[in-house]
Amino acid sequence: MSAVLQRSAMSEKVALQGAIRIEDVVKIYDPEGAAVMAVDHCSLDIPAGEICMIVGPSGCGKTTLLNAIAGFHSITSGKIYLDDKLLCGPGKPMAEPGSDRIVVFQNGALFPWKTNLENVAFGPLMQGKMGKKEIYEKARSMMADAGLSGTEHNYPGEVSSGLRRRVEIVRALMNNPKVLLFDEPYRALDSLTKSVMHEALLEIYYKNKVTIFFITHDLEEAIFLGHRLVIMTSRPCKPKKILDIDIPHPRDYSVLTSPRFRELMDETIEVVHEEAKKAFAAGEKEG
Amino acid sequence: MDQLVTLLKRAMPFQMVPDDTLKAIAGLAKYESHAQGDVIYHIGDYADDIYIVSSGSVQHTLGIGTQATHLDKTMRSGDVFGWAAVLENQRSRLAKTVCLERTELIRINGEDLINLFKASPALGDVVMSRFATMINKEFTLPEAVAAQVPHFTQAQATMATMATGLTLTMFRVSQWLKSPKPYLMLIGFSILLGIWYFTVEVWKLPRFEDMPGLTVVVKELFSKDPTYGLSLYTPEYYQHVWVSLRRIGIAFFLATILGVPLGLFLGWSKTFREYVFPVFETLRPIPILAWVPLAILMFSGSETPVIYLTFLASFFATALNTMLGVETIDESYSRAASCLGASKWQTFREVIVPGAMPFIFTGLQISIGVAWFSLVAGEMVSGQFGLGYVINTSYTMVRYPTIVIGMVTLGAVGYTTSAMVRMAGDYMMQWRVRELALGGR
Repeated sequence: MSAVLQRSAMSEKVALQGAIRIEDVVKIYDPEGAAVMAVDHCSLDIPAGEICMIVGPSGCGKTTLLNAIAGFHSITSGKIYLDDKLLCGPGKPMAEPGSDRIVVFQNGALFPWKTNLENVAFGPLMQGKMGKKEIYEKARSMMADAGLSGTEHNYPGEVSSGLRRRVEIVRALMNNPKVLLFDEPYRALDSLTKSVMHEALLEIYYKNKVTIFFITHDLEEAIFLGHRLVIMTSRPCKPKKILDIDIPHPRDYSVLTSPRFRELMDETIEVVHEEAKKAFAAGEKEG
Repeated sequence: MDQLVTLLKRAMPFQMVPDDTLKAIAGLAKYESHAQGDVIYHIGDYADDIYIVSSGSVQHTLGIGTQATHLDKTMRSGDVFGWAAVLENQRSRLAKTVCLERTELIRINGEDLINLFKASPALGDVVMSRFATMINKEFTLPEAVAAQVPHFTQAQATMATMATGLTLTMFRVSQWLKSPKPYLMLIGFSILLGIWYFTVEVWKLPRFEDMPGLTVVVKELFSKDPTYGLSLYTPEYYQHVWVSLRRIGIAFFLATILGVPLGLFLGWSKTFREYVFPVFETLRPIPILAWVPLAILMFSGSETPVIYLTFLASFFATALNTMLGVETIDESYSRAASCLGASKWQTFREVIVPGAMPFIFTGLQISIGVAWFSLVAGEMVSGQFGLGYVINTSYTMVRYPTIVIGMVTLGAVGYTTSAMVRMAGDYMMQWRVRELALGGR
């Protein structure tokens, strides 16, 4: 009860922008005449300021959904809204990519030919909304806030992978996005670095309060970070089980050993495993 | 030692420090072990050492009046405390620390640490600014405390962090001289020259007796009055080199300014590619020598046909590699750029061009190689000067040592131009040089 209260209290205080509404979205790939359904009548409401964790077996179509929101892929039918703005729907199969929804990519997409600072400044520089000097000042101070001072003039290839991910999130936040779309960003990190990254992400979230759409395979990560957990079916993808994670925020790593955390793990692990087995039997390619 | 280095690496302020410096820091470190309930220091004690927790846990309680939001903090493995030892005016402890269980610590003298960094101020600045961040963020102390972390002179720091192309090259040369490579290289050359000398001049193998020998060629090359009219002391030699270089220069320049954009557009625009690529792929496999008659018909004089032939070979190599370069750019880079609000043209300029750069320079390396190849072919057929012309006329006029002089010169000049292209690439792609340097390559 208290957790629910706390959440609603928080979402009131929080940004009121950045709600995503996915309505009956279908995506059919038709590469060689053999229609493959990747997303099957999927509906999902994500309130503004929520961390929504999407868990599902490899290749189930989670990333297709993310790409549709980001504007990288078209959808076959259905609608996706950001707040009240129609991103894609009938007559407009593909959303326009924009700086209100920024993707943090699986393998990281910091430009290796730009220094960390230039990477962070990239968005505003391209949009040309602020003066150059202002942009670099803001970039420096945001990097300092995220504990990245001293790495401004390094190239991404010179710093650790954990640090790179942090720079990438700061690069996204420079644009004041309404939504951050994470496509398994910590997949390649070792578990120690991962735990540091999780806490850092939450810290950034508490300061910025954006809506987070976060795809992962890692159930522990999902429960630790999210307000809500959406477990997807194996392909075609649609929500199979939606679970409120009633552990109060702000959280830190001590949550992992709490009894409630274990309970939630137990509750979900079976569902996830079942879908993973189905996906494995169908021999779907990871993606 | 290795354990110490691993532990240091996990400590926030030292994460960016390269391994050899970590080893130096580890040299300053002392291990110690404490039982549960041991007090490591009290508020007001003189601060001499910083501590890093190796195992166990330590309770860190800040004294009243330090305005921190969180007074208590539990330090675990990899955490750093006792940072008052690196502050400039605050050499007394601000907190009390007690071991919560059996705890192993390493301690490093703050003064020693600062002295160590005086040798590499750039690195010192990074570490110290991370200390400041840590004090400010993790211990939620005001900036004023964090600001007491010493700064190393900024001018020095920027100089060192911005390794320019020149210092990097100097560093590489000194490293190279220290490695066994130059000496192995000398052995390689001696073997080649040895075989030449013995087969031609000592053993006089059949079919080798007419070949110019090593000593004959060397004598001719360094003779002030060469028997066959061409040596390092004759102006004609330099004229031939100059003419060849000029042709290469013009052809390579044209091939680059036309081939790179063509390749970029071929890789970037699907439609453009549908039009152009089939034509391109039909023309590309035609050997350069097959173009000779048409080149002579198309262009007047003796200069332009040779330049045209040289250009052609270079152009195809450059364009093809540039196109491949664009194709290999990870799609997420363009996607990220579009997310961040870059227009199509901005994406081209900021992502496609720099992203293809490594391949472009590989292409230019190949291009300069084939340029020399087709230049010599062209000069042998037409043209009145140049190294290819020297080799060809020396053959018909039975000046055998001069042939070898021409060949050796081609080798040396070709190597130099190739190295220049590589250096231009390194200069333009500092990010790649630094990345590869970190990988130990």
